[in-house]
Amino acid sequence: MVSFLAGLLDATVQAATVLLLAGLGELISERAGVLNLGVEGMMLVGALGGFIVTVVTGSYWLGFAAGIVLGMLLALVHAFLCITLKSNQVISGVMLTLLGTGITTFFGSAWVEESIDGFPQIAIPFLVDIPVVGEAFFRSTATDYLALFMVVVVWYFLNHSNLGLEMISVGEDPEMADTMGVSVFRLRYLAVLIGGGFAGAAGAHLSLAFSQLWVPGMTAGRGWIAVALVIFAQWRPRRMLVGAYLFGLLDALQLRSQSLSLTLGPDAPLASLVNPVVEFLMTPQIMGTYPYLATIVVLAYAVIRTKSDRLAVPSALLQSYSRETD
Amino acid sequence: MNVAIDVNAREDVPAWLAYGTPVFTVLAALAVSAVALQLLDVNPLAAYATMFVETLTTEFGLTETLVKAVPLILTGLAVYLPLKAGLFNIGAEGQLIAGALAGTWVGLNVSLPGLALVPLMFAAAAVAGAVWAGIPAWLRAKWDVNEIITSLLLTFVALEIQSYLLRGPMQGGTGNFPQSARFSDAATIPELASGVHAGLLVAVAMVVVTYVMMNKTRLGFEITFVGSNHEAAQQAGMSRFKVYLLVFVVGGAFAAMGGISEIAGAQGRYRAAFEPGYGFTAIPIALLGRNSAIKVLLAGLFFAVLFVGGSSMEVAFGVPAALVEIIQALVILFLITAEFFKNYRVSLDFDRGPSGAAVEPQGGDD
Repeated sequence: MVSFLAGLLDATVQAATVLLLAGLGELISERAGVLNLGVEGMMLVGALGGFIVTVVTGSYWLGFAAGIVLGMLLALVHAFLCITLKSNQVISGVMLTLLGTGITTFFGSAWVEESIDGFPQIAIPFLVDIPVVGEAFFRSTATDYLALFMVVVVWYFLNHSNLGLEMISVGEDPEMADTMGVSVFRLRYLAVLIGGGFAGAAGAHLSLAFSQLWVPGMTAGRGWIAVALVIFAQWRPRRMLVGAYLFGLLDALQLRSQSLSLTLGPDAPLASLVNPVVEFLMTPQIMGTYPYLATIVVLAYAVIRTKSDRLAVPSALLQSYSRETD
Repeated sequence: MNVAIDVNAREDVPAWLAYGTPVFTVLAALAVSAVALQLLDVNPLAAYATMFVETLTTEFGLTETLVKAVPLILTGLAVYLPLKAGLFNIGAEGQLIAGALAGTWVGLNVSLPGLALVPLMFAAAAVAGAVWAGIPAWLRAKWDVNEIITSLLLTFVALEIQSYLLRGPMQGGTGNFPQSARFSDAATIPELASGVHAGLLVAVAMVVVTYVMMNKTRLGFEITFVGSNHEAAQQAGMSRFKVYLLVFVVGGAFAAMGGISEIAGAQGRYRAAFEPGYGFTAIPIALLGRNSAIKVLLAGLFFAVLFVGGSSMEVAFGVPAALVEIIQALVILFLITAEFFKNYRVSLDFDRGPSGAAVEPQGGDD
């Protein structure tokens, strides 16, 4: 049981890092008022770009940086379309996911055979010896630690830095922010680019640390889960930490649910009634629906409950801004 | 010298721009994709010749195009109809899958003569697709829960359920593949002509139904009115709730019929990867054809040509058919870029005085 738990936690941390990086980027972008549904595409571009650079140069840090840059490059297209040209954010985002998927499948087929060592794991002395949780949390890749650190950075940035507060004001009330002398366009560009960089980093972590190989479409919907996670976290970085680990745990459980026996003994009362239900609910594919269903429930609950205006959704999300008044 | 870029809203769109835009965007997308082909050392002209000329001049290419067009047109309508009411259905893929699963279940488990069984499969699919689309629609109509996110998330739920059913209760056939058993002859959609199944008639009929509904009935007027200004529409006594629910539910049923057509007409059994995401391609189709159901039909045919041509190109030149995804995405990205130039006039203004009243969307950027 202990080894099962340790393995589960280890897989949870690995799955959570990807979601955390992508989710934090999406959170920043949305707080500034720009929904980015291109995360999945930006992650794929980051995953392939990071992988190629690592194979060619042998440096996984250069690869990681390349992933960030490529994610930002695709995000720049989103920013230009949504902010400068005031295009529909949903259309642009979905098309960028399609574009990212297409480009990486088209150019990535030659790299499927390659393999890399990827990021080495770093063990933190003493802490790594803690039973059960030690190996999972304190023997990880640098990017795992980086993701955790980023939660603090993003939380501090959004809540305690001038730039972060201006960014939030741009997502809440762009007219007011503009009147106060805040450049709506510059800050939204910045937020979208940061978001793309995070998505690219999430993708690079996926190919360089998580699976250490490249397969077309390897993000497997994680970008969409990141979008869901932002809603689940109600646009707050600290809740995102909880959400990412929760969704990561579900992901990790999915692969291990078969070895986990939660069914009642045959003599227990109602066993014949309860056991099939439990077995059904523990089927890997059925467990795969939980993050999505949970997000729908949280979204619906939040909207319905906060008809009294307490919902944390940025007020100007999805609205392009222009100074035209007529 | 002072150079400024002036951006002014256009009063009216010149005709050449209105009609030239779709053509221009497609050509621009093909031109950029040519660079991608060149990077893989493939002659773009030769590749495009294979993609388009071969598809449009051979019997195989034409029949394949018509077969692929069926789910594309139907899912295109599933996005088009909510778009008219101002809603975004990006979950047509999930509705297609929900419908295909329900229709397949009926096809495998009900024994009736084909004349009754095939319509029953379509009906079951339509109900499942309508229910799947009804959830985000109801949440939106009743509680204002964003339908974009919920319809999308339900797509992933549908994909997981599909995977569960095809590995579990609905798994059939030889081997341990994620697929259903083969359909009997009675559960197979009959062919119209060599290789083209009768699902095409369903798709065309639904285009006609949508066209008539949108252009000739009061309901269509209400949908358009709610789409352009739902507050005014409600003041005029129209029910936003009814319209929102209706466009999604009908759209979901359309997408579902596309799913069961593909399986019972073209595939013969439910395979886990039986379609390359038609429900997502439906979004560019609906955007390209958003002015009328007839244009959705044309856009669906065009994307079908791309899919079929992409496969031939993959075989002939050994380059991934994913080029088709790049072209699709670029078409729409150029389209929304062109929308901007359609709605705004951009001009360079030299020596503009400080009192220039021109609008600068870049704001304090510069």
